[in-house]
Amino acid sequence: MTHSGPGAGDSPRADVELRVPADSAYVSVLRTTTAGLAARLDFTLDDIEDLRMAVGEASAIVLDAAAEGADLTARFWLGQRTITVRVEAPGTGSELEQEDDFAWQVLTTLADEAKTETVAGTFAITLLVTAAPLESGV
Amino acid sequence: MSTHSVRDGDADVPRSAAVEETRRRSAELFETLHGSPAGSPAHRSARDELIALHLPLVEHCARRFRNRGEPHEDLVQVGTIGLLKAVDRFDAERGVEFSTYATPTVIGEIKRHFRDKGWAIRVPRRLQELRLQLGTVSAELTQSLGRSPTPRELAERIGCTIEEIVEGLESGNAYATLSLDAGDDADDGGPASMLDAMGAEDEHLEHVEIRESIKPLLDALEAREKKILMLRFFRNMTQSQIAEEVGISQMHVSRLLSRTLDQLRTALDQD
Repeated sequence: MTHSGPGAGDSPRADVELRVPADSAYVSVLRTTTAGLAARLDFTLDDIEDLRMAVGEASAIVLDAAAEGADLTARFWLGQRTITVRVEAPGTGSELEQEDDFAWQVLTTLADEAKTETVAGTFAITLLVTAAPLESGV
Repeated sequence: MSTHSVRDGDADVPRSAAVEETRRRSAELFETLHGSPAGSPAHRSARDELIALHLPLVEHCARRFRNRGEPHEDLVQVGTIGLLKAVDRFDAERGVEFSTYATPTVIGEIKRHFRDKGWAIRVPRRLQELRLQLGTVSAELTQSLGRSPTPRELAERIGCTIEEIVEGLESGNAYATLSLDAGDDADDGGPASMLDAMGAEDEHLEHVEIRESIKPLLDALEAREKKILMLRFFRNMTQSQIAEEVGISQMHVSRLLSRTLDQLRTALDQD
């Protein structure tokens, strides 16, 4: 599941990729994985919980658009105190509708950047989250 | 077991006047209670007063279980159920003080609460303890750092691994918060109930603009959940800031937010 090659930060390859059945029961697995990864990037508890929630929310939106029996794929790119998560499934989401959705408000609050796209029959949400600076000395 | 009733009057240590008064009033009320037909106004008011009179006993019992991860208010709530049962079952003829009779019932009810409902899923004791420790230590670190701590900082302070911290946070999410208007035990000394902590008008929320389409959804939420949700998503406060503002722990804020989002999603799906 993990393969972090050289220059992982800006590589187009996902550092971590996880595929689960497109079923809400598996969303908690994605959330847990997300929290585990963020903890290793030295995110604060606030950031970890926000990210966990954001991934849950994004997964729920993607699940709504997912075709029956499809797989939900989460890819994580780990940077220096940033994490990019892309959650996708075969299907089509109507992006315009989402702009007006409460879930979208949630996503854009929790993540620094959020975007949806449908490419070749796959609906994806990509989130970029940057950890808060740890300015205070320990 | 009840050998202390008669000799108490001339005991060497004088009992406080307040306790004496409570016992006298209690005996009076039980006389009224048992002397009037069930459902009559006299019966009802005697019962109500008996319960009010002995609430301090419930408080006392609940305090014995502090720092075990359940909000004090929850414990008082279930303890009061025990008190109700005790009032209804008490037989004054037996010559036992009501408080003596009621205490095991109240404590039994509180213990049952821990056994039945404290944890939504079975979580090993080690993790339950870690979760409690996490709550305390992360509150301390938030104070001293002026921001929410990282798992590494928590691990260093507690003396465990980051993996264990992640596990502990995970188990925190399995912990069921039962009552919507319970306070949070982790913040002892704070307001008794979260509802008390929130004025009806909230300056932070006055100028928030909410789209019409979301209003009915938000209005269907409990006052506290709504406030926390709005502070996070419309005022963009961090979980730690909200925790401080509302007077509960960050972990509790996190749980409430997740749960509220789930609720909203379910509500939306049903439309």
